[in-house]
Amino acid sequence: MDIIEIKSDSLAEKYYKVKHDSGLTIYVYPKDGYSSTYAIFGTKYGSINNTFRVDNGEVVKVPDGIAHYLEHKLFESEDGDAFSRYAKTGANANAYTSFDKTCYLFSCTDNFEESLEILLDFVQSPYFTKETVAKEQGIIGQEIKMYDDSPAWRVMFNMLMNMYKNHPVRIDIAGTVESIAEITPEYLYTCYNTYYNLNNMVLCVAGNTSVDTVLKIADKMLKKCDFHEIENIFEEEPEGVLSPFVEQKLPVGLPLFNLGFKETAPKKRVDEKTLACSEILLFLLASSTSALYRKLMDENLINVSFSYEFFEGEGFLGTIFSGESRDPEKVAEIIKEYIEDLKKSGIDKDEFEIAKRATYGDAISGLNSTDNIANIITDFDFSDRELYTYIDAIANTTLEEVEKRLCTMLDVEKTTLSVIRNVE
Amino acid sequence: MSKLIRKQIAENIAFNAVKESRFKTMRISVTAYLPLLEETASVNALMALVMTRSCEKYPDFTELSKKLSYLYGASLSSGFSKIGDIQSLTFSISGIDDRYALDDDVISKELSNLLCEVIFNPLVKDNTFDAVECEQERRQLIDMIDSEFNEKRIYARNSALELMCKDEAFGIKRYGDKDSVSKADAKDLYVAWQNMLKNARFEILYIGDSDYSTAFEVFDKRFNEISRTPLELKTDVLRKADDVKHGNEDMELSQSKMILGFRTAVAAPDEDTMATRVMCALLGGTAHSKLFCNVREKLSLCYYCSSSYIRQKGIMLIESGVEKENIEKAKEAILGEIKAMQNGDITDEELIATKMSMSNAFVSSYDTVGGINGHYLSQMFDSELLTPQECVERVNAVTKEDVIRCANMLTLDTVYTLTGVSNEEEG
Repeated sequence: MDIIEIKSDSLAEKYYKVKHDSGLTIYVYPKDGYSSTYAIFGTKYGSINNTFRVDNGEVVKVPDGIAHYLEHKLFESEDGDAFSRYAKTGANANAYTSFDKTCYLFSCTDNFEESLEILLDFVQSPYFTKETVAKEQGIIGQEIKMYDDSPAWRVMFNMLMNMYKNHPVRIDIAGTVESIAEITPEYLYTCYNTYYNLNNMVLCVAGNTSVDTVLKIADKMLKKCDFHEIENIFEEEPEGVLSPFVEQKLPVGLPLFNLGFKETAPKKRVDEKTLACSEILLFLLASSTSALYRKLMDENLINVSFSYEFFEGEGFLGTIFSGESRDPEKVAEIIKEYIEDLKKSGIDKDEFEIAKRATYGDAISGLNSTDNIANIITDFDFSDRELYTYIDAIANTTLEEVEKRLCTMLDVEKTTLSVIRNVE
Repeated sequence: MSKLIRKQIAENIAFNAVKESRFKTMRISVTAYLPLLEETASVNALMALVMTRSCEKYPDFTELSKKLSYLYGASLSSGFSKIGDIQSLTFSISGIDDRYALDDDVISKELSNLLCEVIFNPLVKDNTFDAVECEQERRQLIDMIDSEFNEKRIYARNSALELMCKDEAFGIKRYGDKDSVSKADAKDLYVAWQNMLKNARFEILYIGDSDYSTAFEVFDKRFNEISRTPLELKTDVLRKADDVKHGNEDMELSQSKMILGFRTAVAAPDEDTMATRVMCALLGGTAHSKLFCNVREKLSLCYYCSSSYIRQKGIMLIESGVEKENIEKAKEAILGEIKAMQNGDITDEELIATKMSMSNAFVSSYDTVGGINGHYLSQMFDSELLTPQECVERVNAVTKEDVIRCANMLTLDTVYTLTGVSNEEEG
């Protein structure tokens, strides 16, 4: 078992990475003086992984929303649900499913070892029967309906559905009432056995803890897994968007919009430097310091809800601008014009410096919180990135690198505007 | 765990500091407390927004944003909320600690000076705020009010509270109302600013590792230059509901919402406040509470079903997301859980689990800057400022009998439903 210390002298921080004999990758990030500990047990498996094969075997296609369904079901075991087990330790537990990962987590101030045992135990103990699978359809159906009523959720998925033709990032994470009706215990076991192999998972613990404590529990609880090659299969995705515009009517007080820019995703996930350049670029382009933001504000087109996101995962890459506006079409037009102009004029040196410092400060601030640390490290492990390398990359980024990034990012010919307007 | 250091600056103005080396960032907030009144709530809210947009030293919004970003992405913001019948206006600034600057910048000093500029030297000319700045923030505040309708969970909660407290100051929204926001002009904002400096209670809270004496001195000096007549701040508490108020709204939605509002008979700083918090958490505050386990999980009646306690007003709200045809069933099930609690149907395990969960929340909050900030600001109208550890001791002193007694003081005041209907039904 290898224990690697990963250190940042400038930040006076460090953490440990362990390749455990069971196959699991374990990260431990001790924070001196903290009272709480935050732990994530996550698998590199999310809503987009609906077609796959193992060790070059047969291709398997499963119903949409199954990763999220599996998350709900794992909380239950033969002897009661995980929440009632955590009730005895006082930990605050939760779980979430995103496009490309499923994470089970807890935070606690006492009884850390017992809580970690519960976490490692229930995630490794699947228990699905026809009856329990059927029962969950009611609760998840209601969750789907709740999201159907959420304009912020709808505006994003409408955008993704119209930006992507084939990639499953276009599908709602929870699936649909119809797709979850197809889920069976057999499908759940297939997905579980494929993706909940410890070699495909990460345990990350941050806060008031030590490597020894975590490894003691890991040694006791983890069941060794043999490595299998998982191949996620995605249909080829065209470079352009499926449709440039989509609109839906819902009861809203103010229209909402998402403007997505599609970029061709490379085979591998983007590295630390590309991520740093993208974040700096978006800051100087659209933060409250930018001329674009000022113009949109002065023309009464946006408000403080305006934001941007670099959107990246296996097989998808892009940028999303979102907010509320009484005239979303005009916002989209101005953003695109501004990007065109910036590509011609180049980036101002002072504005670059400001953007770099702000992005750096933001990344450092993130090291305050144990939940943020654990979530980023888990995410970075799944995308082959390392946290301090990323922070150093921000500090070392040059104007030329950001200008180069601008050439490939934000193609105004590949955009989708999604709008939610009020029902008449 | 660092203690809170508290120094009086003047009558009703205190400087609080928590010296912490664990964080990469520091934060200073200045909170003004004023009575929540129909006449002033909107003007105050708009004033707070305009004040963090620009100031005399940085009259241009973009220049101010650049200054903050240059200081490693520091952030300056203002907000408004209500604590009982009191409106609170918070001005805060945060940024990375001096130790992590890439050059020799003394960020903490710059940030405290900047916050001071914003509060004491806003962009003022001839006894009026800047009209253009005022228009820009007015539009955004109206946008914010309009968009509160977008998320129905929040909309339903606000609508229920409005109905429940329609004859109380607490029924006024934290930003007043849209009409008053539309009418407030730049001169009104100037008057509101003067009124705040002269009449509000102020709490300054510093959290960070750098020396806070600079911040203390600058605020001490500026506040003591003002001749002040602080207003009395109090919250009326209605301890018992006489009749049940009913409200319903039909809307094109796939899921309905139901909110039940209760009077608890206990409000901060009453002795039973912590026992009522425990009672409320045991009922629906955790993922192992009665409402979660029974109404959501066992009966599958709601996707969410939880309770919260507004301790300054002695109000408990139960919020739920429910299918239209299950509204009555869910209501019966929720009231059934309360009845069970009133009859003493509380296991030792339930009580211990609730206490552990609350203790966990109190102690964990101390591990973030925002958590420490919230922990102390939420207690400013309690009888004393408790550390998280002291809160844990109070929680642990609550007995099962206390919980049963508090549960028996609940009276149902309001039932509000937001009923989902399809397009055709609504027409």
